[in-house]
Amino acid sequence: MKKKSSAPRQSLGNLLPKLVVAPTFVIAIIFIYGFMLLNAWLSFSSSRLLPTYDWAGTIQYEKLFANDRWWVAAENLLLFGGLFIVICLLLGLFLAIFLDQKIRAEGAIRTIYLYPMALSFIVTGTAWKWILNPELGVQRLVREMGFESFTFDWLVNTEMAIYTVVIAGVWQSSGFVMALCLAGLRGIDDNIIKAAKVDGASMPLIYRKIIIPGLRPVFFSALIVLTHIAIKSFDLIVALTGGGPGFATDVPATFMYTYSFTRGQIGLGSAASMMMLMAVAAIIVPYLYSELRKKKDEH
Amino acid sequence: MSINRVLIYSLLGFVALIYLLPLVVMLITSLKDLDEIRTGTLLSLPQSLNFDAWGKAWGTACTGVSCEGLKGYFWNSVLIVVPAVVISTILGALNGYVLTKWKFKGSDLFFGMLLIGTMIPFQVILLPMARTLGFLGLSGTTSGLIMVHVIYGLAFTTLFFRNYYISIPNELVNAARIDGAGFWLIFWRIIIPVSIPIIVVSVIWQFTQIWNDFLFGVVYSSGDSQPITVALNNLVNTSTGIKEYNVDMAAAIIAALPTLLVYVVAGKYFVKGLTAGAVKG
Amino acid sequence: MHALKIQNVEKTYGKVNVLKGIDIEIEPGQFLILVGPSGCGKSTLLNMIAGLEEVTNGNIFIGDRDVTHLDPKDRDIAMVFQSYALYPNMTVRQNISFGLEIRKTEKSEQQVIVDKVSKLLQIEPLLDRKPKQLSGGQRQRVAMGRALARDPSIFLFDEPLSNLDAKLRVEMRSEIKELHQRVGTTIVYVTHDQIEAMTLGDVIAVMKDGEIQQMGSPQEIYDNPRNQFVAGFMGSPSMNFIPCQIEKVNGVMQIELESAGASHKMLIKQTIQGLESYAGKKVILGIRPEQITQQGEDKVDSAMLDCAVEIIEPTGPDTQITARINGVRTICRIHPTAECQLDKLMPLMLDMSKVVFFDPETQMRIY
Repeated sequence: MKKKSSAPRQSLGNLLPKLVVAPTFVIAIIFIYGFMLLNAWLSFSSSRLLPTYDWAGTIQYEKLFANDRWWVAAENLLLFGGLFIVICLLLGLFLAIFLDQKIRAEGAIRTIYLYPMALSFIVTGTAWKWILNPELGVQRLVREMGFESFTFDWLVNTEMAIYTVVIAGVWQSSGFVMALCLAGLRGIDDNIIKAAKVDGASMPLIYRKIIIPGLRPVFFSALIVLTHIAIKSFDLIVALTGGGPGFATDVPATFMYTYSFTRGQIGLGSAASMMMLMAVAAIIVPYLYSELRKKKDEH
Repeated sequence: MSINRVLIYSLLGFVALIYLLPLVVMLITSLKDLDEIRTGTLLSLPQSLNFDAWGKAWGTACTGVSCEGLKGYFWNSVLIVVPAVVISTILGALNGYVLTKWKFKGSDLFFGMLLIGTMIPFQVILLPMARTLGFLGLSGTTSGLIMVHVIYGLAFTTLFFRNYYISIPNELVNAARIDGAGFWLIFWRIIIPVSIPIIVVSVIWQFTQIWNDFLFGVVYSSGDSQPITVALNNLVNTSTGIKEYNVDMAAAIIAALPTLLVYVVAGKYFVKGLTAGAVKG
Repeated sequence: MHALKIQNVEKTYGKVNVLKGIDIEIEPGQFLILVGPSGCGKSTLLNMIAGLEEVTNGNIFIGDRDVTHLDPKDRDIAMVFQSYALYPNMTVRQNISFGLEIRKTEKSEQQVIVDKVSKLLQIEPLLDRKPKQLSGGQRQRVAMGRALARDPSIFLFDEPLSNLDAKLRVEMRSEIKELHQRVGTTIVYVTHDQIEAMTLGDVIAVMKDGEIQQMGSPQEIYDNPRNQFVAGFMGSPSMNFIPCQIEKVNGVMQIELESAGASHKMLIKQTIQGLESYAGKKVILGIRPEQITQQGEDKVDSAMLDCAVEIIEPTGPDTQITARINGVRTICRIHPTAECQLDKLMPLMLDMSKVVFFDPETQMRIY
């Protein structure tokens, strides 16, 4: 036997785990929470080209709310986010249900559906920019096929440009929802489905009444992640439309970047980012709250 | 095969085709010359395999003021990704280990605090971080970007390892403690040998996230230190006379190649990372 | 000399009192069972003996060393876990020698010990396998081998058999007993299974709500439970608890039992001082199923009762029937060949020399 350990060594033993996580703790405090507070402060300051930590009240927010471009950005986010989320969820769900029918090449098909998720949004944007460009892209392809009067110029159309972002976004992210739903479908207890069959339910009915409701939690987390992607979306828009034509496809993330880093309006930029934080919080907080309550109920 | 099965297969096949098409179009375009692009359509095949656009994208295309192609930026990205992935994965593993096997008062709270870090829009820390990097003399350097990626990747890697280690029975650690092993010995001899799958998940996740990052890259780097995504965007938007779509596409594929490769080789782990990141807590 | 002494040990988590002053002392070589329903604190107590959990109050001695605040590795103990906790990345041999390696035992000596232990447990052919290639019973053996290799002064077992199927559990139970008889090391063994407790233990500590309800030899606990909880927990099927009225007639204590519509007076053929004060009051009669059986020839101390049979459950060696006495479902154990029929009256004998009584308020035994 080794010699007995004395009391001080014991307390070092207790301290060690805390020491190991201490760097991460400090990082989280400073770089997440500290920075959030600092950013909040900036949004109440008069900062322009350089950050100044003074107190200017809510002037930046007033400027923000008086800014037409901000409202275009916010509206775009609602439009893009709403369509992006709904289409991704529906497409993902249906692809997953179809893939769950004991498909022979399932692995290969799944790989194809999901590969865009491995790409950078910049690459996706670049690719779709080429595909959707009116001169040489899809429009040309369809016209060559004999539909002479076909026009597809959404990319340069102020009214329609935001929908191209939806197309590229759905292409990139719907595979992810499919993967989540598929995992959810595989997780449903086979016995429940057998029981329903014994009760005489048809397959469509079983899907409608049992399986899809059983995917609720999966839908929920997919919804959270998609919302998150939508609110943060920046690279896709930069690469695909650059926010244009004009600022027709601006979203809060590009708005914030433009004002903070190219227009020298740091105060305004930080106010915009605070609004984004609020939007995320409005989604996440109720979600976390319900998750925590669920956990408590289980105990 | 019933009519239903035929329908299902053709639908799945059709959708797969649509998903593949952009990649195919990129590839075809990158192999054409400009004349072929101007006269043909998206789907018309190149007359001969022409890798000129690739060479140009890699070595001589203009990305803003300099015209040295993507190669320098490709290596920038490698230089950023490798240390950032290694450091954030190691720290994540240690955090996960402590948060599950050496819990202390407040450790759950700490984890919850960290989780928030996976959810905030990064725009909210962009400005203070820019200031801090300047203060530390790291503005516009790859080291600065490594630091940023480590910091904001930690929450994810910790989440991965914590959720993985929570399924390793505590009894294993207790058995080792009774056998006489301490904190580090248990980590090396007992925990790490069973962690290979989650290490792969964490490495792949961090690799794709950091390689594909644009936001931090465009804000915190300049000139020579830019990562490939920023360079690609510059390349595409640099207008010197005619638009060279073939070079754009070659450049895009070059930028996408590493992550695509990882996805093809280790897709299973990639999906695991995605779903683990989605089902938080 | 004691092998293990637990002195007024307490454990609180926040405001919850999990263990409320535990005192235990056992001799070297004894087999101590900690038994009780889940949440009674038995595993917490074992973990505290192992040093895996902090002691809030009190002291633990192993031999004459105060180990209360020592690390597990310095306590000279070995432990077998419920999930076996074999290191998945190591072979059986490495699993067994890991503790020796950490304690810097010579390689050659490690070899000798591994050989000895694997021979003892008959796991020699498994030495180069990984845990996931082993069956449940084999894993169990390896886990014991790992503990044995260390040759500690106390073995701790944390519900080691509960992950095995019924048949294997019985087999491993006797193997553990045999091992103990051969090796003779002190063992502390936690289980929720009262049959394991009865068959394995020299000393049983029955626990509930963080307190020891009774400590003693298996027979003592079975025959002389201190309170209604111990009486009900030990034994399967459980002891019957029948509320009844105590009366004193002509200086003799008797109880009144109602069955199948008829009332019977039963004489208490024991001298129980404490019962005197209960005359005219309600008590709980405790009677084990085997103490109610079919009419025999020479049961002098027994009293007869006609009972209506409600359920018949043959188990093979005997048959359990359920009858209603004083409105309470009562299980009786009769010979498999005895005649009984559903919903028919059957004369049953109550062995009144062995019955026990409990206070209905405090649930404590009346002596």
